[in-house]
Order: sequence, then structure tokens, then C-alpha cells
Amino acid sequence: MIRAFRSGLKVDLLLLLRSPFDMVGMLVWPIVFASIAYLLLGSANGERVLFTASLGAAVIIMWGWVILGAGFALDTQREMGTLELIVGAPTPLVVLISPVMIARAAFGIYGLVVTLAWGRLVFGIPFLINDWAAFSVAAVGCVLAIGTLGLIAASTFILYRAAFYLGISLQYPVYIASGLILPFAILPGWLRPISWLLAPTWGFRALGKAAAGQTPWPDIGMCFALSVIYLLIAIPCLAFFERLARDRATLKLA
Amino acid sequence: MARFGARFYSARVPAIEMASVSRVFRSRQGAFRRRISEVEALRDVSFSVEPGELFGLLGPNGAGKTTSIKILTTLLLPTSGSVRVLGFDPVREPNEIRSRVGYVFGRDRGLYDRLSALDNLRYFADVYRVPARRKAARIAELLELVGLTGRVETYSRGMRQRLHIARGLLHDPPVLFLDEPTIGLDPVGARELRETVAALRDSGKTILLTTHYMFEADELCGRVAVINKGRIVAEGTPASLKARVLDTTVIEVVAFNVSDAALDTVRGLDGVESLAVKAEDQTQVLSVQSSRGAALIQPLLGALADAQVTSVTAREPTLEDAYVQLVSEA
Repeated sequence: MIRAFRSGLKVDLLLLLRSPFDMVGMLVWPIVFASIAYLLLGSANGERVLFTASLGAAVIIMWGWVILGAGFALDTQREMGTLELIVGAPTPLVVLISPVMIARAAFGIYGLVVTLAWGRLVFGIPFLINDWAAFSVAAVGCVLAIGTLGLIAASTFILYRAAFYLGISLQYPVYIASGLILPFAILPGWLRPISWLLAPTWGFRALGKAAAGQTPWPDIGMCFALSVIYLLIAIPCLAFFERLARDRATLKLA
Repeated sequence: MARFGARFYSARVPAIEMASVSRVFRSRQGAFRRRISEVEALRDVSFSVEPGELFGLLGPNGAGKTTSIKILTTLLLPTSGSVRVLGFDPVREPNEIRSRVGYVFGRDRGLYDRLSALDNLRYFADVYRVPARRKAARIAELLELVGLTGRVETYSRGMRQRLHIARGLLHDPPVLFLDEPTIGLDPVGARELRETVAALRDSGKTILLTTHYMFEADELCGRVAVINKGRIVAEGTPASLKARVLDTTVIEVVAFNVSDAALDTVRGLDGVESLAVKAEDQTQVLSVQSSRGAALIQPLLGALADAQVTSVTAREPTLEDAYVQLVSEA
């Protein structure tokens, strides 16, 4: 199973790197998001606020790549006819789908680097990271939690033929509920419990606190705890939707 | 039992068994007023394949061949009926079956185009749980067999087909499902592939082969079943199916400009058992099965008076003629 996971990770990365469409998106997207964040806030807000905004932009990219990239990847697998082969394989589906999510989320680290570098080079914002070690652990926790949250969504992608469009519909609600686009202070109170259930909320907080030199460990802990919870939810969800897909014959395009 | 790793395996238990299997596809249309339409892809289908046998499932497009294979390979659930593969139930025990069967597509799909043959095989070897100590040797062995390098997106259909076969054989499954493996291949490629299938049969694998090509089934299969509109319309050895039409003669007419009305007239002639029409370049080739032998030629030419007939030949029936008759009857 570990071999299948590792192999899946390698295949997804190779497919990603060999797709001009994906590569252009990956190169441009972090720059666009970072620029929007910096330009919206302006220099009057000070370096720390701008730096925190760039972290938010990086988490936005992470979730965007997971949810859109995974939807696109599964649609492509369906189109290529390989989705049937992986569903019909003896290895559990969770082991074969999770590399897609983790690979996409891991690219979020690259997005984080590009966002911070772009801020530094174009907008002159210094790297305001006080605790590099905690920041690195927070980034890993963030990748894991966002990747496994994507896995729950992916279980429905197995069933529905329009996975990519389903991904789009899940993109912005999570951005808003996680406080990535708008500050929590202006969001309605009933949204708060929902945000606590979402990985990007804790990932963003962990990165922000590690960078500011505050203790990020409870937030990092939440990232890892949520990863386990998401995984435990995703496994039966994948089995359930796989059975539905076999019943409704949606593993194939036509 | 050890050889197949199957439950209850013995020479007397079929390797593959479908009993009274039906499959209905439902599709929903309309955003507000939802309409559900149903297509019955399989109707009460029953057949069995013995261990080590090469069994052919013949039928026209949309007959239910691929649906049958997908149910047997756990990719689809049957609506009703009972299915067993090596003694396991694909509905309740899909994982038991998945490690013991290989599924080979007959089309372009089913491969990672942007990867090389080697990368495809490496990935599927891990997915299909080929033991780590055997993986490299198995891939090398199969790559030597198929002789492929470079990215899959640059491959011809024949090269893809060879890679499909290699992928299906990676985990050395005792049961193989080959879904129209020679479709679209050039004659040389198709012949090589038939030789590979024959070698697999001789090595003791149980094979379920679907095909459109009757000569292929005749050459390879010990037994065949003809499926049409979701029903099995005949089952037996190729010789026994041919025997069904031995008392008929096939009259082949090559002609230009044969109208639909003329074809209807031919169908209505006394002694016509079936009529198949094949368009070849500018001409139409009519294969008429007749219980009246060569005596049908004159009335046949009369019915085709408005067309330009270039040749008429009478010959003994083949398995293809038996198939055409069975499908026409259904």
C-alpha cells in the first residue's frame, strides 16, 4: 500500500509537470493571488499585515489546487479510462486517490514560496518569519489537513461526471468560511463553528502564529487531528460513493 | 486450489459464471421535470466458463458484451441475478476478485498518455500489488514482450494495444477479460495479438474474449456465446454454431446503388433466412443465407434489377454466417 501511495504520488506529479495547462496555471496563480492581496491592502497597513495577507493567499492557492486540481485530475482519469482501472484494482481506493490530493496540496508549498518571493521582490515585503522550524511544521500540517479535506470531496468526484465543476462550487465557500478572504470579525457568528471544522482555518492560523513568533502548536495540532478525522470520514465515504458509481455506471464518461 | 487462489476452486466449478443476470441503466433528464429513462442492457444472461477455457462472447455493438465484462470485473453492479468469478461474488467480495483478474480494453483509453510504457507499468504493478521482489523482473519481461519505449501519447493503436495486454498481465492473473482487443488493429498487429492470446490460453489461463470478428472466435475459442440486445441467443462450440446453418447456402452479391426498397424485397423472398449488407468503398456486399441453395440466384437478381450487380457467388456458410443468422433472428 505504501508503494502504491508513493507510486501514485510520482505519477500525479509527472502528469502535472508534463501538462502545459497545469504548469501555466501553477506559475501564474500564486503571483496573481499575491498581487491582489498586496494591492487590495496597500502599503498603509504595514509589513506584518501584508505578510499575513500573503500567507492567506498561499493557503487560498493550496485549497484551490486541491479542490480544483483534484476535480480536474479525476475528470481526466475518467476521460482517459484509467479511473475504471484504479477503482477495479485490489488496492483500496483511498490509497490511490489520496496521492492526488497530497500532491496538489504539496504544490501549495511551492505556491507559498512564490507568494512570499513575489512580495519581497515586487512589493518589498521582508520575510517576517520568527520561528522557521515551527513555520515549516505548520506548512506540512497545513498540506496534510487540506489534502485530506480534499479527499472527502474527492469521494463525491468518483460518482459525479462533472467533478471539476463540483470543485469550483466548493472553492469560495471554504475561502470565506476559513477567514481567508474576509476577516472573521465581519463574518456572521453562525459561520464560526463551520470554520472550526475546516483545515484552512487552522493552517492559516498556524502559519501566521509561527511567522509572528507566537506559539502555533495548538493550531498545528488541530491540523494533524483534523487530518486524521478527515481520513476516517473519507475512507467510508469513498467506499460508499464507489459502490454508488458502480451501481449508476458513472466511472466511465459515456 | 492453490494455483488460482480461489474459493471452492476445483475442476468441476466454473471459473466464471453468470446466472440470470440483468442490468438496467437508468438516466435522468430535465432540471425541473425529471424524466427517468431505462435501458435494459442485459436480460437474463447466463453462461459459464470452465477453468483454462477460452470463451468468446460475440455480438454487435450495444449487445451487452462490455456490460457483462464490467460486471464480472466488479466495475458495475448487476440489477439482478447471480455472478461468480473463481467462486467469489463481485458484488459482495470485489477485492477478492480484483487481485485475481486482468482486464484489457480494446480501445485507446486506459493508459496514462503523458507517461512512458515503463512508468505506466511501474505504476500499475504497484496498484495491482505485484510483489516488490518480482516487480522489476516482471516489468522487464513484459516490456521485452511488447518492445515499447517513449511516451504513450506517441504510440499507434497497435502499440497501445500491446501495452494494454502487458498491463493486464502484470500481476499474472489466472483469469483474463479481453474486451475487443484487436479492434482497429492492422492485419499484422491483429494476427500477432491473436498469437499472444492463443499462447495465454495454452499457458492455462481462463480467458473471456469479446469480439466482432467471427474468424477470430473460430480460430481461438473453444466455446462461444452469441449475445444480442442483452440476451444470449446461442451458445456452443464454433462448429456447433456453424452446424446450425450447414443446410443453407450463402449467396454473396456485389452491387452498386442497391435501394432500401430492393433490400426489403430481397428479405421477403421465399427461402431467404437472413440478409447482411456491408458497404465497401462504392459497392455494397449482400450476404444472403438461403435454404434454397443456388436456386435463389434468379429471384435475387430479379429483386436487384434496378441495381448494378458486378458479381454473384455461392459458398458454404461460415461462423460469421451463423452469427448473422442468429443476430437477425433475434
